[in-house]
Order: sequence, then structure tokens, then C-alpha cells
Amino acid sequence: MRLKIIRLVIIALFIVLVLELFYVQVIRGQHYYNLSLNNRIRIVPLEGWRGRIKDRHEKVLADSRISYNILVSPQDIVNIQELFQFLSQVLGVDQPTLIDAYRRKKFTPFAPVAVAENVDRQKAIKIEENKFRFPSLMIQESFKRFYPLERSGAHVIGYVGKLSQERMKSFKEYGYSPPSMVGYSGVEEYYDDVLKGGSGGIQIEVNNRGQQVRLLSIKEPTKGEDITLTIDGEIQRIAQELIEGRVGTIVVMDMANGEVLGLVSSPAFDPNYFVDHKFSEELKAILRHPLSPLLNRAIKGQYPPGSVFKVIMALGGLDSKKITQYTTFNCPGYFQYGGKTFGDTCRYGEQNLIEAIAHSCNVYFYHVGLLIGADLIHKNARLLTLGDLTGIDLPYEEKGFIPHRRVYLAARKSWYAGNTINMSIGQGDILTTPLQLVKMMATVANEGKEVQPHVIKRIGESTVSRYDFIREVKLDSKIFDIVKKGLRAAVTDQNGTARDLNMNEIFVAGKTGTAQSAPNKDHHAWFVGYAQGESKNIAFCVFLEYGGSSHNATALAKQLLKLMHEESLL
Amino acid sequence: MKKDLDRKIWTYTVCIIAVGLVALYSASYENVRVPHSIFYDQLIFSLFGLGIMYFIGKLDYRKFYDAAYIFYIINIILLVLVLVSGRHALGARRWLEIGGLSFQPSEFAKLAVILMLGRYFSDRHPTLSFDFMTKAQAFFLNLFMPFTMTAILMFFIFKQPDLGTAFLLFGMFLVMLFASGIEYRYFFGFLAFCLALVPFGWHVLEPYQKDRLLVFLNPNIDPLGAGYTIIQSKIAIGSGQIFGKGWLSGTQNQLNFLPERHTDFIFSVLGEEWGLLGTVLLVYLYFRLIQNILKIAEQVKDRFGTLVVVGIVAILTLQVIINIGMVIGLFPVVGLTLPFVSYGRSSFLVFIIMMGFLLNLSKRRTIF
Repeated sequence: MRLKIIRLVIIALFIVLVLELFYVQVIRGQHYYNLSLNNRIRIVPLEGWRGRIKDRHEKVLADSRISYNILVSPQDIVNIQELFQFLSQVLGVDQPTLIDAYRRKKFTPFAPVAVAENVDRQKAIKIEENKFRFPSLMIQESFKRFYPLERSGAHVIGYVGKLSQERMKSFKEYGYSPPSMVGYSGVEEYYDDVLKGGSGGIQIEVNNRGQQVRLLSIKEPTKGEDITLTIDGEIQRIAQELIEGRVGTIVVMDMANGEVLGLVSSPAFDPNYFVDHKFSEELKAILRHPLSPLLNRAIKGQYPPGSVFKVIMALGGLDSKKITQYTTFNCPGYFQYGGKTFGDTCRYGEQNLIEAIAHSCNVYFYHVGLLIGADLIHKNARLLTLGDLTGIDLPYEEKGFIPHRRVYLAARKSWYAGNTINMSIGQGDILTTPLQLVKMMATVANEGKEVQPHVIKRIGESTVSRYDFIREVKLDSKIFDIVKKGLRAAVTDQNGTARDLNMNEIFVAGKTGTAQSAPNKDHHAWFVGYAQGESKNIAFCVFLEYGGSSHNATALAKQLLKLMHEESLL
Repeated sequence: MKKDLDRKIWTYTVCIIAVGLVALYSASYENVRVPHSIFYDQLIFSLFGLGIMYFIGKLDYRKFYDAAYIFYIINIILLVLVLVSGRHALGARRWLEIGGLSFQPSEFAKLAVILMLGRYFSDRHPTLSFDFMTKAQAFFLNLFMPFTMTAILMFFIFKQPDLGTAFLLFGMFLVMLFASGIEYRYFFGFLAFCLALVPFGWHVLEPYQKDRLLVFLNPNIDPLGAGYTIIQSKIAIGSGQIFGKGWLSGTQNQLNFLPERHTDFIFSVLGEEWGLLGTVLLVYLYFRLIQNILKIAEQVKDRFGTLVVVGIVAILTLQVIINIGMVIGLFPVVGLTLPFVSYGRSSFLVFIIMMGFLLNLSKRRTIF
């Protein structure tokens, strides 16, 4: 009796089992069949070879080298101790570091974990040879960026890094797509689409680990294009050596066509740190550095121009016919207005415009400022594109700031004559970037012809001409000659503020600036000028953040020009 | 008649083993993770096992009656040894190594429980003794004692932890208790009591076991972790459809998407490559084998023999149903092998011994 019940129960159970098999394999069969296809066919994106970046003399500034990543597939590990002992022996990295990296990155048993990246060829071959002993090992080829200029090129060139979300996404697909490299900052970012080329991919049949079993189809990625910059690697090196250890920037631009020949910002960083994981400590130090080395001070740093702004004042005075070259004002060493005293550093007595520029006389320009008024100062500054992006082909440029009286009044802030007086010597709320002042100086040197600063020369084989235009500034072209006399006098006059730069071999003219910054902090030191050498005419700027007197800037500028001359770069 | 039953047991056993070898050949084909050598290992062990089956068929099965309690006690000792010095594999201590041989005592515990309960229930005649005992005595001797003896083994196996086998022993106990002729009110009362305890059982489980149960309810909550196996296994079986993808051509199998496919999940290899035809054939073979075993149980007039055969039927049925059910997502993944088909010597040997025992019975059943 009871055996019969048992028999019936067993029959019932088997009937249910067969029905369930019928449901899974026949009714839902097609659905599962499609899922099994999805399982095994995968598109693996292929990263194209990233184009090189070269300087104007075809010297390589950023190179792509092939490198190898070592991956470990967790579920295939036979003996974890032996494996890591072997890896640490070959790679020369101590075991705990490797195991730590492995544990940190392990996500699922099916996704391979990168325990070492950018391994060199010799080591990769050695690991490949031992793969039969350790079936969990995989070697992945990738491109490693290399920056031969190291610190000197950092801010112009930028760096590359992985896109982090991209990486997470690839992990979700059992982690086998090479994390794509993207340019960050500098030319690497601005010309990323040109450099990276077209991505390709392969359709492969994979096993559970995403390892390729068969190749189904392939689309070759297109090679990224090389680009040639207007930058001169030698100038970068010289400039970086000069500014090393100080905070500031040096910009050198060909004033004939706006080609930027050199651009360094200090403190700098070595872009190679971003490429190789073995520099993670150095990288952390960079990111934590109080002076933010990643900041490109030449285009993103905004500072009061100080006395450099007097160039704008002189142009404005002359253009409005309120003063002439021969207009004189008396400088007793101070200036009183509305019960307030505005200071000056020296007492020069009666002087004309040329002398005032040469001596950088504050009182003279207080008078000019009050004569032409705040609105005209603003207008002239904007005419020379201060307060505007220079449009250089580098990312994250800042505009600076030129205060506007009417905007102030509209915002219910008052505007006093004191504001105008402060503005006349480039103080108050005025902010400019060093590159803007270089561009301004080039316009003055070119007598009203404004060039477009840029760093690109060629993309692939084709010359880039979109930056080769010249804009006429709407100012009387004769007045530039007068201002240029003043700028030259600053160098040649025995009391000129830039008299250090009086050199026989090179014609130099320019304007110094000692800009007051925050209280309790040292002044900013400026020298913005132009020079005519044997081969090139350049506009340039030496700026030292909290660098003290402008003499520090002119001394540096002199060394720069001298070195450039010695290396026949000028 | 008797020769006929004998031959059927042999036939179905050999057929099932053959189907299993075909699947195992494919599961280990051209693969690093599941080395092909296991196929030959299983092949040789199958031949050896059939020899053992023949040998046990010749033994006097009353020797099993004599050895039942001794075997039971030895098994307890082995299970304790496993907990103390067993080998770790896949997060549990299930293996014991003695003199270079490694085996799973929990597999042999199945045999121990069958023999122990067979002897215990056959020594007692519940229906006869009721008149001479109070209800409390009857409850103690007919239900409490045998359950406690089973529960001791269950406890040690549960501690390994091996939830599947522990549960299997419990199912077997229920079936043999039922077959022992206990009154229905005791049987169903006990069943109801156990069901009431289920919610408390949750707290006893290891975290991974809880995960597995949750994943069973919804495999997609952890598609790359605990749910991975069950999802891939369902895809494998389902994608086989009616005729299968062909031998050695299952993509789920050959491309390594199926974990544990040579042991617990071998049925999905069969389902993928041979389709519904293959799976129903194997299920039919099991069904016929079990039906024939039940016939033996009906013809054996000896109480110990009947109970042992019922125990064998119970364990075979439960393990087939649970293993296939877990592979197609009807049951949680509990780690039970598919009898005669999954790779693994301990499991294989235990079922072979059971078959040998059946041969023995079918030969001698007319003596009584």
C-alpha cells in the first residue's frame, strides 16, 4: 500500500520534470538560444595608435610606444602563491604590492584583473613564455604615451589618461575592452579627436572569460594623425630651466604670425607621471601641491597687469587727442585727488609721454586717466582684446577682467574717480592673463596689426592656416610709433625700468610691471616686451607670481634672450 | 522473472553510465579548466565500479544487516575527522584524505543512513508493538530515536557545510519513516512540525547559503556572482531546444560559460548538445531504473530488504529530481550530483554499491 503511494509520487515527480524540460527547451528554447549567442559574440573595441606631437623642427614631444599589461584571470588561478612569486620575480615588484593591486581591482571571478601595467617588452616575453605554467596569466597590448620633454612641455602638451567611467563599463562586460586613453589639458585635449584617430573593433567569439576563441570579423582602427606644433622644444627647455624653482610663466610668440614658440608655466609637472602607475606617489604629490602645478598660468592665471597696462593708457590718451607725445605733467612723487594721496615710486619732475613710459611714472598716467575717463580706458583695453579670450588653441583659457564703470553702476556699486586712477596703473579689479599681454604687445609692435596666437602648425601633412589672419585694430596707426618709442626708451634710457635689457646684439623694447597683489604678499613681477633678432621678431612675457620687483622679471628676460641668441633661436 | 529484473538493473545502470560518459567527454573536450583526463578517469572507474557491483551482488546481503550500526558509527567518526582535518575546497570542508586516497564521507553517509534506518525499522515492528506500549514510548522508539540518529549525521554534514546532502538525508528519512508503516497522524504531525521550524532555520544558514537561496528566487540580483551559474545553466539547457546543438558543439559548454559542468551541472551539457531528446532519454532511463527497483521492493518479503530498497529509491529519486531541478532553475543550487553521470568517485561508488545491493536482493528474494 505504502509502496504504491511512493510509486505514484515518483511518477508524478517525473512527469513534472519532463514537462519542465519541455517548457525550458521547447517553449522558451528560442529565447535561450538567442541568449547563448549574445554570450559568445562580443565586440571588442580596438584603440587606434595615438598620433605623435612634434615641435616646429619635427622633434617629437609626445610619442606612442607599445607596452604590455599583465592581467590575471581570478578563476583560473591554480596556486596564488606561486603565481605572485613568479610575477614579483619577473616584474621586480614586491609581492604584497602585486597582491594588493590584485585584491583592490578584483571585481568578479570572471573578469581579468590588471596587476601590472606598462610592462616592458623583455618582461612581457618572459611572462608569455611561462603562460603554460600559469594559465591565469594574460598579456594585453596597449599604447603608452611618452613625453621626452618631461616637465618642460607639460602645459602646452598636456597628458593622457583613462576615462574612468569607460573603464567601469568595460568591467561590466567581463572586462576586456582596452580602456581608451583621452587627452587631458594642453594640445592632447584640444586636438584629441585628431590624435586619437578612428576607433575600430573586432567581433570575436569568446569563452566565459571573454578570451578570444575565434575571430569573426575585424575593422581596423585608423591611425591617429601626427601633429606639428609651432612650439620650439629648445625654447621650452631654456624657458623651463630659467623659471624652475619660481612661480610664474614665460611666453614667447612670433609676433609676425602669432605662432607660440614657447610657453612654460611653473611649477610644472612631468606628464609621464600620468601614464605610468609606478609614479603614483609623485602624481599624488602633484595633485596635492599648494601651488597647483597643473594650472597653466599663461592662459588660465589671471593677474593685475600693473604698469604694463600703461601701454593701453598711452594709446588711449594719444588716440583721443587729449595728449600728445610732448604733453608733460609734473611728478612730485605723489598725487592728490579728492583728499586722497596716490603714491609713486620716484620723483621725476616734468616729463613727457616717452619719458613717462620709460620711467613708468604713475602720476603721469593718473593725469591721463582722469583726462580720458574710465569708459575710454575700458574701450581701449577691449580694443586690444584684453578681457577677452585670445582664442589660442589650448583648452581652459580664461578671459581676465576689465572693469566697466557702467556695469558697476548698474550693479549698484559706486565708481569713484579713485577707481579710474587705480585703473590707470593697471590696479584695482583689472585682471589679465600673461598671454593676453603678449598678444597686446605684439599688436603694438606690429603697429596695430593683431595676430592670432596659436600652437598648431600642421595636422598630418597639411598646414593649418585657419589662424593665419591679421586684424587691424581700430586705432590711429601713427600713435603706435610713439608708444614704441616709449617702450624702447624703457630699455635704453639710463633710468628706464627695463635698462637691464639693453643689449647690443638684440633690439629689445617693452614694459615692466610691479603689480600689487593681496595685502601681506609680495608684488607680481612683469616684463612684457618684444625683441627683434636676426631670424625672428618675438613678443614675449616673463611673469613671476609674487615675484617682487619687476627687476626680477627683467633679469630673467635678459637671460632668456641671451640664451636664445646663443642657441641662434633669435 | 528474477533473472529478468536482474538484467534490467544492469542494463539501465550501464546505459545511464554510458550517457554520462558521452556528456563528460564533451564537457572535458579541448579544455584547460576541465582536463580531458577526467573522462578516462571516469571511464576506468566505471569499469572498476561495475566490477564492484558484480562482486557485491554475490555477497550475502545479511552481512549488511550485521554491519549496519558499525558502518554508521564509523561514518560519524569520519565526519568528525572531516570537520577537524578535512581538505578545503570551494569554501567547504568535505574531503578527507587517508593514505593518499581522498573521498567525501558525506557521500557514504547516505549509505550509512539507509542501512542504519533499515535495520532499526526492521528490528521494530511498529504496528505490532503498539498494544504493549504507551503512546509516549511508541513516539520515542518509532520516531524520535531514528530521527535523532539521522540528525547526528545531518548535523555534521550541515557543519561542513553541505546543505544539499543534509537535506537529502532528511528527505530519505521521511520516505523510510513513511515506508516503515508508522501511523499517518505521527508522520504528518512530524512533517507539519518540521515545516513550522523552517523560518527558524534561516538563521542557522551560512551567508553564502542565504545568498544562494535569494539568488534562486531571483538569479538576476547577482548575475556575475552567485546567480551566474544558474543563469548560464538555464541558457545552456534552453538553447539546446529539441534536437540540441550537436555533440561537442555546445557553445555554452565548449566556450567555458558553464561552471562545474563536469560535476553538478553535467546535465546542462547534455541538454545543450542533445536537446530535449537527450534530456528526456536520460530522465526516462532513470525512471525505468527506479520503477524496476520498486518492483524489487514489492517482491522482497524481508523487512530489512524492503526498507533498504525504499531508501535507495528515495535517494536516487531525490537526487535526480533535485539535481535536474537545480540545473533548470526549479531548485536552489545545493551541490548534489547526478547519480552515475556527474564526475566524482565517492558519489559514483556509493550508487554502485547500492546497485550491487539490489542485485543481491533480487537474486535472493525467493529464499524467504
